[in-house]
Amino acid sequence: MIEVRNVYKTFLLPYKVRALVDISVSIEPGEVVVVIGPSGSGKSTFLRALNRLETPDSGHIWIDGIDVMNPKTDINKVRAEVGMVFQNFNLFPHKTVLENVTLAQVVVRKRSKKEANNTAMALLEKVGIKEKAQVYPDQLSGGQQQRVAIARALAMNPKVMLFDEPTSALDPEMIGEVLDVMKTLAREGMTMVVVTHEMGFAREVADRVIFMDDGAVVETGTPEHFFKNPIHDRTKLFLSQIL
Amino acid sequence: MDVSTKSALLKKNPTYFLWIGVFFLILTLVVGLLYYATQKIDYVWRWYRIPQYFVYYDDVAIRAEIEGTVKRITRKNGDAEVTVADVGVEESYNVPGGEIRVSEGDFIFPGDVLGSFGKWKVGILLQGLWLTLKVSFIAILFGIAIGLFAGLARISKNPALKWSAISYIELIRGSPLLVQIFIWYFVLGTLINTLLRQQGIPLIPPLWFGVAALATFTGAYVAEMVRAGIQSISRGQTEASRSLGMTYFQSMVHVILPQALRRIIPPLAGQFISLIKDSSLLGIIAIRELTKATREVVTTSLQPFELWFVCALLYLVLTFSLSMVLQYVERRTLYQ
Repeated sequence: MIEVRNVYKTFLLPYKVRALVDISVSIEPGEVVVVIGPSGSGKSTFLRALNRLETPDSGHIWIDGIDVMNPKTDINKVRAEVGMVFQNFNLFPHKTVLENVTLAQVVVRKRSKKEANNTAMALLEKVGIKEKAQVYPDQLSGGQQQRVAIARALAMNPKVMLFDEPTSALDPEMIGEVLDVMKTLAREGMTMVVVTHEMGFAREVADRVIFMDDGAVVETGTPEHFFKNPIHDRTKLFLSQIL
Repeated sequence: MDVSTKSALLKKNPTYFLWIGVFFLILTLVVGLLYYATQKIDYVWRWYRIPQYFVYYDDVAIRAEIEGTVKRITRKNGDAEVTVADVGVEESYNVPGGEIRVSEGDFIFPGDVLGSFGKWKVGILLQGLWLTLKVSFIAILFGIAIGLFAGLARISKNPALKWSAISYIELIRGSPLLVQIFIWYFVLGTLINTLLRQQGIPLIPPLWFGVAALATFTGAYVAEMVRAGIQSISRGQTEASRSLGMTYFQSMVHVILPQALRRIIPPLAGQFISLIKDSSLLGIIAIRELTKATREVVTTSLQPFELWFVCALLYLVLTFSLSMVLQYVERRTLYQ
């Protein structure tokens, strides 16, 4: 489903940072991959490179057989197939919850208003927030906003979902409701790449855990391997600090 | 403000109403001083002469165009028709109201008054006000369009677009509007109209060069506001819309611009109010807008005090209405 080979990315501004160093990852359909690592380790850059929100300097990325790095590829087509959920939700504040979920369906997928509304209401019910369809995002709690953002991404019927620290901006009591939605998705067989600090989620849901540090993949493996007997010292240090 | 908030306010700040009183005291004082000053100078106020410049009742005379005798006068529903005839020619004149000055059999020379009627006419000040309103309104519409385009070009990655936009903005903002109006009318206007005349196409009246000058001038300021508005919307909004597969254009139209434009309504209101006042400069290219109309009336009536006060008041009516409209729009688009 996702094939990443020898990807490099260096930020020059505000100062030179090697964000991605020779990253190669292969993700199967239906697989749930959790990316963890200290801040500044390049996890988010890796995730954002997958739908070219960041353009890598070199290397190759294929999503569902489409060459993402090729400048001739219609990136908007790729992005429509790849749902993304952000740390800060990024809901459209000038549109109601329902409009947030229908907008891209109508504009990008060219669905009729009615069809889009039906899809949106079904998804809002799925994330448990159907009764808030007509309110504006400002009136929702963080957890509710993030669930709307997930519904918005799902409305495009994506083949892959990318989650960029979806619970980091939430109050602790709201993390659970968002994680529950993500767990449901995982059980339904959605291909997911999740950058998170929620080790409980990683242990419970992940098929594979990738540990990144200084822009490189340090260690990768199943959650059991990862949390019980990590090999690298850097991984051990990180786990000892957060667990 | 309802009663409970008022009483709460009073409790918190007991001198609140005292200071309201102070405000009105100052207002009365200023107005009183002004009145006192005008009484001290040698000027005769003639306010009663002002209304005629808004609307006036005019006598319209109906004159014969041919020579002959009045053949017949027919009355119908209060109106009258006078028929003048000579050998081989006959013409009829309709006199609304039926106030006839001739009788059947009278001999008429061309230019003789057959009858007259009274009619309400729009005065020069009201005409000027209308022209100011029209010029400003068209210039605002074009100004928004130009500003939107230039603002988007200003943040474009394409150097041709970006540098063109920067040149336009800096050039327009850096030179006096008066000079720009002169250039539009005397340089570009002469060029364009000369070319049109050579092609046999009807010429463009000065009004449109005035509109062009105001619109390009306003467009430069609007462009910078649009740029600032767009840049004030968080990057996350662009990323979220683009990550859903929207193109740059779709993301702008559906997500970024609606938020950015709402945010720049207050500075835009200021700019448009400026534009209405700046339209007073158009008098110099023979557009008889409010200020030029006032100047003309002042030279004939010699009542500068009343007329300039009225002129200022009329501008205030326009600008204040615009301000109210935009505040309403701002409140209406509040998302909640």
